[in-house]
Amino acid sequence: MNKALFLISLQHELAMAIGNKLDLKAMLKIFLKVCFNRLDLTSAHIYVYCDQSGMPSKLLPLKGTSYQHFLSIPKNKRGQSWSKSSILTNFARQLNSAQKSISFQCENGQYLFGFIIPEYGLLTFETHYALADEVQKALQPILQKLATSCYTSIVHDSLVKEVHSRQLIEKKVAFQAQHDGLTRLFNRQHINHLLSNAIEDAHTNNKIGSVLFIDLNRFKPINDAMGHTVGDKILLTLAHRLHSLSSEHIDIGRFGGDQFTMLLKDLKGDYQETINQLIAQINQLLAAPFVIDTNSYKLTCSIGYALFPLQSSTVNNLIKFADIAMYEAKRAKTQRGKQYQRVMSEKIKRRLAYVDDMKQGLEQGDFKLHYQAQYNHYGDIIGAEALLRWQHPVHGKESPAVYIPIAEESDLILAIGQWVLEQACRDIKKLEQLSLPESFNKIAINISAKQLIQHDFQEIVLNAVKQNDIPAKRLALELTENLLVENIEDSIKLIASLKENSIDCAIDDFGTGYSSLTYLKRIPASVLKIDRSFVTNIAQSSESAAIASMIISLGKTLNMDILAEGVETQEELNCLKDLGCFHFQGFYFSGPLPFDEFAKLLN
Amino acid sequence: METELFTWHTLSDTLSDFKNGLSLAQNSGAESLLVLTCSQNNYPEEELNSLFNACPLKLFGGIYPMLTLQGDLIKQGALIIGFKETFDVTLLSQFNQLTSENCLEKFITSTLKEKNNFCGQDNFLMFYDALICNIENFIDCLFEHLDHGINIAGGGAGNLDFIQRHCIFTNSGVHSDAILLVALPRTLNTSVAHGWKAFDEPFLVSEAQGQTVQSLNYQPAYEVYCQTIENATAYKFNNTDFFDIAKNFPLGIKDINNNIIVRDPILAKNNHLQCFGNIPINSMVYLLEGNIDSLVASTEKAAVTLFSKLNKTTIATTMVFDCISRALFMEDEFEKELNVIAEHCHSGALFGVLSLGEIANGQSGAIRLLNKSIVISSW
Repeated sequence: MNKALFLISLQHELAMAIGNKLDLKAMLKIFLKVCFNRLDLTSAHIYVYCDQSGMPSKLLPLKGTSYQHFLSIPKNKRGQSWSKSSILTNFARQLNSAQKSISFQCENGQYLFGFIIPEYGLLTFETHYALADEVQKALQPILQKLATSCYTSIVHDSLVKEVHSRQLIEKKVAFQAQHDGLTRLFNRQHINHLLSNAIEDAHTNNKIGSVLFIDLNRFKPINDAMGHTVGDKILLTLAHRLHSLSSEHIDIGRFGGDQFTMLLKDLKGDYQETINQLIAQINQLLAAPFVIDTNSYKLTCSIGYALFPLQSSTVNNLIKFADIAMYEAKRAKTQRGKQYQRVMSEKIKRRLAYVDDMKQGLEQGDFKLHYQAQYNHYGDIIGAEALLRWQHPVHGKESPAVYIPIAEESDLILAIGQWVLEQACRDIKKLEQLSLPESFNKIAINISAKQLIQHDFQEIVLNAVKQNDIPAKRLALELTENLLVENIEDSIKLIASLKENSIDCAIDDFGTGYSSLTYLKRIPASVLKIDRSFVTNIAQSSESAAIASMIISLGKTLNMDILAEGVETQEELNCLKDLGCFHFQGFYFSGPLPFDEFAKLLN
Repeated sequence: METELFTWHTLSDTLSDFKNGLSLAQNSGAESLLVLTCSQNNYPEEELNSLFNACPLKLFGGIYPMLTLQGDLIKQGALIIGFKETFDVTLLSQFNQLTSENCLEKFITSTLKEKNNFCGQDNFLMFYDALICNIENFIDCLFEHLDHGINIAGGGAGNLDFIQRHCIFTNSGVHSDAILLVALPRTLNTSVAHGWKAFDEPFLVSEAQGQTVQSLNYQPAYEVYCQTIENATAYKFNNTDFFDIAKNFPLGIKDINNNIIVRDPILAKNNHLQCFGNIPINSMVYLLEGNIDSLVASTEKAAVTLFSKLNKTTIATTMVFDCISRALFMEDEFEKELNVIAEHCHSGALFGVLSLGEIANGQSGAIRLLNKSIVISSW
């Protein structure tokens, strides 16, 4: 009676220990602990069937499931996992192949008893006594229940894993929706969203905030010359540096390209001071060189900012205003940042209207080409520089120093440049039909940066020459030293290629660009033009004379012709001649003339 | 070869006597000192801390309700044993902060890592604060994570009033909520006995949590317990203090080999029984009974078993962890138990403590918390 009662109570206690936890390991551990205590075990072990990826699964021999050691009490034996115990491992192998309960007496007198957890694993007990047959049989229904619980736990575990991986993906998607892929700073959309909330908060709680717009200066040449990989590394480094400024009240985002935004919330009464300090900190972060792949890059930035709700309460306006202020800071070449002012918008409006005027002027033929003759030291005309002139319908004669930079900011410069090229070719054609003096060589036109970076620029030039049926040698291009240096590799290729097609190039404003001599000797230009700043009063300025002398020597060394611009007096001319310069351009000889007058001058 | 070289005791409860004893021990040439004191002494704790801090020898032990020396019971006073070897002592404390199984597991694994898994140390004495809330979880977890079997004997220290006080000694002072593991330099042999027998059909533990049995056979545990005793004996719970009757009728959990693990019901509250050790839910428990003769006989059997297997070439030290409730049960005749041990222990020092819970290995090797039992240990 007592034996029967014992078996029933044993079954009851073990059965009640099953399924108390959902996690497979925790569930099996509770069961194993009760077995351990109730059956007075020396050690207890569970092996479970696992799929090919090592995850616990139902026994499916055709799908390659195999049993693996899963859990033991005690955990290890003499510093080693039980899975390394050969007696136990051999016993488990026998148990698995037998697929029924087996037992074994070890040499040390201990016993091993093995049981099958149907379709899910193996259970092994080590005892100091022989486990009675009726106890072994009493365990069978318990093992069936344990198998059912294993199934539940495995399903639960896989659900938990699925939910977890889904949560990870959702987290990743949520992160990606708010962050920039390269820098992992907030992206434009999220900064806009944060700004919208900050504006609302500022209204509700009577607070002040600011949006800062940060743009790197001269980042594009690095990106173009060194490639986007280097550019991206610089942006990433900068993002890390800027991120050090983020706080509860400062959010940082990448607006796009090399532009970053900062959102300052909850500014106190001395907000101007806070903003100034932040701008100083940003400049400080940029002060350290960016070392990428053993090269070191120095960068600066331009910063503009707008205040909310003081200057606007809409996201679009605030971003726009900060952007406008940033451009003003860039124009002013200041690192101290600029706060948006209404006059900046008005200036932009005026500028846009001015661009419209230029467009109209171009369509209505208000632009003209004047030609300033170039002379040799015998006083013969050797060529001319085509100079653009515009008669504004309201303002009258406009200075190229005003409208060319504005045209360069918009794509209008391309249309203007195209017109200049075509008009110059047409004028050359006309000149060709006159009897030109033998000394006359060519007409030079000025080329802007935007024209030069057009991928088909050479084709455009050669087309114009071909369509107007003029000899290519009559056309020359003038490129400023700064322009060449910015696009040095492409410029060298282009100039060489044009030279092969008989079109010469001159380096304009030489002496102002501090270009490296290494570069200079690689540029296959034909003419060096001494900038007018070194020519004016050359007789009185020993410094100007020294620079001009150096340029002249350099030209000779590099086998280039030297032409001095801006010659206005006999004294200047004589001085230049003394220094060895024999080609000139300037009011001393002739000012820029309309084509017809220039044609007459030639004759 | 003797394992200890100094034994000193006093029956006086004054600190000055204890200081003398400690001073003698420090000059005895011993390397380690086992210091045991009676809870009745009420030595000022700060003074004990300074004395232990200043002791240049490795010191360990604790405060127990009573002590034993040979066949005598020491109700007040102290006992100091000096050993030739420096013992490795590990103090584990702040168990009240280990509120979950995970915390306890982390704590034990990190301790074992620090102690290099007690590599080469297979024999331990364990002195612990009897009122640590999770002592059984600790010993289960220790056994689970130790990568080798150990021989262990120990007993819960403290006071019979069950108020937690500082009661564990080390060189850094007196500690509460702490366990002290002392690695012995020689093999520890133990023998365990209790002498209690089942006197009724078993009950199903239908509700239990840790040491509290809420229901037996789906009835309030306290009611079932009282009714069963009242039906079978002349005891009546109405007019008597619960423990006065309960000390005669502990609960027992029988294992598969008919070994009984005794659990002492010490308190009745809200119709529940509070025991001095865990009672697993869904297990079967028996009501146990015993008498002085059965208890002493089982002790004698354990003593004979132990001393007969000891190595005759070594004069072993024997320490007894005897449950205080056995002394309360046997009252004036308790020294019979001590005498039967002394009769069979022919060499070396024989001493011990009356403890609140005992620790020993089961036959399987697992570590067990015992109640109302005696653990005789020799090394």
